[in-house]
Amino acid sequence: MDIIIDVKNLNAWYGEKQVLYNVSLQIPRYNITAIIGPSGCGKTTFLRCLNRLHELTPGNRVEGEIYFYGKNFKGNIYDSKVDPVEIRRHMGMVFQKPNPFPMLSVYDNVAIGLKINGIRDKKKIDEIVMDSLKKAYLLDEVKDALHKSGASLSGGQQQRLCIARAIAYNPEVILLDEPTSALDPVATSKIEQLLVELKREYTIVIVTHNMQQAARIADYTAFMYLGKLIEFAPTEELFETPKNELTERYITGKFG
Amino acid sequence: MRLIDEGLARLNSKIIRMANLSRETVELAVRAYLKNERLTEKIFNNSETLRILQDEVSELAVELIARYQPVASDLRYIKSCMEIAYGFSRFGRYAYDIMQVLEVFGDLSSCDQTKIIKANDIVHKMINLSIEAFINKDLAKAEEVDKMDDDIDDIYESHLSNLIKEKPQDLRCAVSATLILRYLERIADHASYIAEAVLYIVKGERRPRK
Repeated sequence: MDIIIDVKNLNAWYGEKQVLYNVSLQIPRYNITAIIGPSGCGKTTFLRCLNRLHELTPGNRVEGEIYFYGKNFKGNIYDSKVDPVEIRRHMGMVFQKPNPFPMLSVYDNVAIGLKINGIRDKKKIDEIVMDSLKKAYLLDEVKDALHKSGASLSGGQQQRLCIARAIAYNPEVILLDEPTSALDPVATSKIEQLLVELKREYTIVIVTHNMQQAARIADYTAFMYLGKLIEFAPTEELFETPKNELTERYITGKFG
Repeated sequence: MRLIDEGLARLNSKIIRMANLSRETVELAVRAYLKNERLTEKIFNNSETLRILQDEVSELAVELIARYQPVASDLRYIKSCMEIAYGFSRFGRYAYDIMQVLEVFGDLSSCDQTKIIKANDIVHKMINLSIEAFINKDLAKAEEVDKMDDDIDDIYESHLSNLIKEKPQDLRCAVSATLILRYLERIADHASYIAEAVLYIVKGERRPRK
């Protein structure tokens, strides 16, 4: 298996409170990996450790190693010499609530990151913006509204705009934290189709509280409980013949 | 209690009803052969009821999948119930086929019944064990059924090879015994599939088909 992220003995704290315990997990390249588990199991924290977002909150702490085998970066992302900003460029994040910049146009929502990163060539920016919108299955719907506010789009379109914004940085990994929990089933289905399409070019890690979503789109699924990784397996195996009794009880709804 | 549990309980009771009815139907057919009783209508009706129950199991299983998107042991149980229901409906069908042999050949009580009695003893145990294995999710019993299937295969195969060697005088007895042994051997196969389904329900494991 071609591994892009190798997590080794990851521990994480919010202040004094430990929320992840010795999580070790290998994420395969060009696959969708879903993280499931009850609220508070640490799945979002795990995701935020993958691109060093967790440590941004004062008092938060991470121990352990995460090896990233990207095109332009190879090594432990928690090595002291590593610039976290660079890591976040390789691993884009999409959040639960669509968060386009409301003051910016659809176009500028995608272009802003390129401009901040010093790209001045308008033609190139144009090319990347259009390509990102196209890859995010959004271009056809917004091509006549590129200069309208990002906030004028529907929820599902806004979320796809956020995916386009993440893609524009040319990341290798896209991390998504419950990206469809605020969307209706039709918008959800579009995002799911989009993710399955995107895995041809990107590695995707998605946190979801919707087990059926994991079952529908993920190649591999991890089940976490109380800050620990309980089981990690190919999705069809985890949902048909889970090895761990806790996994069995959680996915069949026999929990607590 | 989960919402799906009520549906699973209904599925379970349908399967148990099929188990009892199919066992009774096979017993009736063998009794009719041994004692020259005419039970065609009763066996036909049972066989039809089993077929209808099999459709009901199938429909309920699909309904449960559509409503609750079951996973893990729930999913394995529902899938297995469809297979097991098919097995029980086949018991009914083969019982009816045994009855048809009597319809065609008439009274067979003067034929040598030893082999059929021997095969029936094993099949009878296999049916009971497979039902108990399913009801109690008993892997040891499921394992026993699997072993007994080889005994039935041996009886049927040695009967066939003897038939060729011995060139029987009474074709009526020979052909009817061959058919009935064949139907019992098929029933035994389905009993062992039911036992295999128990292994899949409990452990998620599949044994390669023989």
